[in-house]
Amino acid sequence: MSLQEVFSALLAWTPYLLGGFVWNITIAVAAMLIGTSVGVLLAWMRASSKPWATRASLIATALSRNVPTIVFQFYLAVMLPSELALPGTAWVLVIPAWVKASLALSMAVVGFTSDNLHLALTQWRKKNHTTALLFVPSWTSYALIIVIASSTASIIGVSELVSRCNAVINATGNTRLMIPMYLYAGFFFLAFCYPLTLVMRQLRKTLSRRLPTGNL
Amino acid sequence: MTAITASQVSTASSASSVTTVSTVMIATPLRSSDALDLIRKRGTVVVGVKTDYPPFGRLDASGNPEGFEHDLAQDIARRLGVTLTKVSVTGANRLQKLEEGAVDMVIATTGDTGERRRIATMVEPNYYASGVTLLMRPEQKAQAWTDIRGQRVCAAQGSYFNRPMGQRYLLDLVMFNNARDAKLALRDGRCIGFLFDNTAVQGDLALPEWAGYKAPLAPAMTVPWAIAIARREQGTLLEKMLGDAVADWHRTGFLIQREKAWGLPPARFLQDTQKLWLSSPVPGQTVCSRTADGQWPSACRNPVFLTSGDVGGLRSLGLRWRELTGMDLTIVYDSYDRSRFLAGLLQTVVLMLLCTIGSLSLGVLGALLAEVRVFAVSQIATALSVYARMTPPLLQMYLLFFGAGAWVWATFGVSISPLAVAVWCLSYYTGASVMAALVETANHQRLAQPDFRLRLGTLRTLVDLSSGPVTAALVNVSKATMMASVISVPELLATATAIMSDNGNIGVMMNALLLAFLVLIAVTVRLLAWAERRLHQGEH
Repeated sequence: MSLQEVFSALLAWTPYLLGGFVWNITIAVAAMLIGTSVGVLLAWMRASSKPWATRASLIATALSRNVPTIVFQFYLAVMLPSELALPGTAWVLVIPAWVKASLALSMAVVGFTSDNLHLALTQWRKKNHTTALLFVPSWTSYALIIVIASSTASIIGVSELVSRCNAVINATGNTRLMIPMYLYAGFFFLAFCYPLTLVMRQLRKTLSRRLPTGNL
Repeated sequence: MTAITASQVSTASSASSVTTVSTVMIATPLRSSDALDLIRKRGTVVVGVKTDYPPFGRLDASGNPEGFEHDLAQDIARRLGVTLTKVSVTGANRLQKLEEGAVDMVIATTGDTGERRRIATMVEPNYYASGVTLLMRPEQKAQAWTDIRGQRVCAAQGSYFNRPMGQRYLLDLVMFNNARDAKLALRDGRCIGFLFDNTAVQGDLALPEWAGYKAPLAPAMTVPWAIAIARREQGTLLEKMLGDAVADWHRTGFLIQREKAWGLPPARFLQDTQKLWLSSPVPGQTVCSRTADGQWPSACRNPVFLTSGDVGGLRSLGLRWRELTGMDLTIVYDSYDRSRFLAGLLQTVVLMLLCTIGSLSLGVLGALLAEVRVFAVSQIATALSVYARMTPPLLQMYLLFFGAGAWVWATFGVSISPLAVAVWCLSYYTGASVMAALVETANHQRLAQPDFRLRLGTLRTLVDLSSGPVTAALVNVSKATMMASVISVPELLATATAIMSDNGNIGVMMNALLLAFLVLIAVTVRLLAWAERRLHQGEH
């Protein structure tokens, strides 16, 4: 297989693969939204003056921190029905696999947000506003980790980038395409995450410079 | 699957269970059989057989019924010393004909299930077993059920295995009203395979119209087949006589010989069952001989139908728990599942350890290289770490295991160990995070000490500032070890999936998996915290 053939094959499949990558982003964005909302709630409970709220928040945070997201994905994939008839109504709630993947990944985000926002809130109350704002670049960096982790959704059959690569390789039966295809898919992630990482690094630097002592 | 469990049981609990059964239950004399009296009186035995299920039962070119099961019926007649009358039955009417008394027994691909045991007597031992497999299009390459997760699979309505198989392997099932439509859809490429009974699929594969198609996936959800007699014949001489006949078929190899004669592929069930029924740990005493009450010992019975009264010890407790709660804790009471689960747990612990060591080593090495004054070296180290952090480790595993693995195999004839690939990919990904944390703290150190440079000797001074993010990265790699299951490393997730697809105890296995990881990660966090404290103490 010549280099030119490889490139033309990759080019031909690019729209399909890009469509898969859109799913990776969708899953990651949904996971960040769900996870951050719950995490904010937990961080707020943690800072509360009621001891039961603090304890409940700490337990929930530890739970979300200690269970791998892949286990959650499997758990939701097989234990949560794909269609849920809402009792008392004629409505049937459809839960597609990508939603289950998002929910599972959001569990990790819950722990992250709860921990980091708690620190940020503490700093904010001490009037260390700039230190508190470091939460923003950390949160974005974490979002990129979740984009990378969204590839594990392929294990539960979501048609995202990695599983589309496997689909193309299996369907065309062209094993020579395997190495270029996987490298190409890796490039998608790299091209998406690297520029954002550079921006966040700059933001972090700018914020750090405004700090009186070189706090990290 | 059933057969494997049975042979395991024999080693674990046969001795104890035999004594339990014989002491608890009072031996009852066998009841005489109305059906057997009738057979002897009329001089012929009426057997319900199939004629639409080649090669188990079919019509030959001149319209005469023949097949694997017809041979079995013939042998029963010979043993009874009477002539044979065959009656053609279908899947829908076979048990009804038995209840009506139109036939004395049914040998017609009847799966031995709990529901059927309520309306008929199933003779033990079972004489054959079938499972579900996938008739796959020629271009498909899947080798295991887990390879087809999320794929479109055609299925016929009403098969008992559709729902559980769909759930267990997350298949996208396309349902058709009957097997013929599903097969047409398969032919048109509307799905990658057709989910159906493996014996029927084997029959299809022999036909020229399915040339090139294949069924490489190991039959799943195996259901054993039994000779069925009427419900009222339970515990009679007829049941005993038939049970002895089937036992004899297994011991003498008659079934395996008939299987070969009808061109059936060798069934694992027959081989395992023969081995079990011939086994005799003490000379002159076989494991599978009837106990005082006329029953087969529990080790030789279909484990699916054992109740807590049939067995002793841990297995009895496990079964009683299942009867009470519906929870099937096979990983506790079944020695086979227990050892599988423990092996998976051990493999996961080994993975976690190797990945922690690998990530730390690669991270420290990367950080040292990045701080080297030679521009090219530091740039390459940094570029490699950026690539590692920005591409999914799962993709790296596929790249190395399938991509590079195929090339290495073709070039050197060596296959790469999946464990090594998993450890490398996870360590590379996490090592980059460790490296980033070290480099960042080195940069921070330079604010106070401009000539600071990271070397092996100065590494210690960074422990205080870098241990937080480094520990976090190491905890994460422990959590990510399950990814190794995609390249067939038999760790905990892979084992749990295998156990739940054999037993159908999805809820139990999923919760066990969740619990196991909660404990494993909690222990990992504790151990890392301890190591961190030790390093701090060493520093001060």
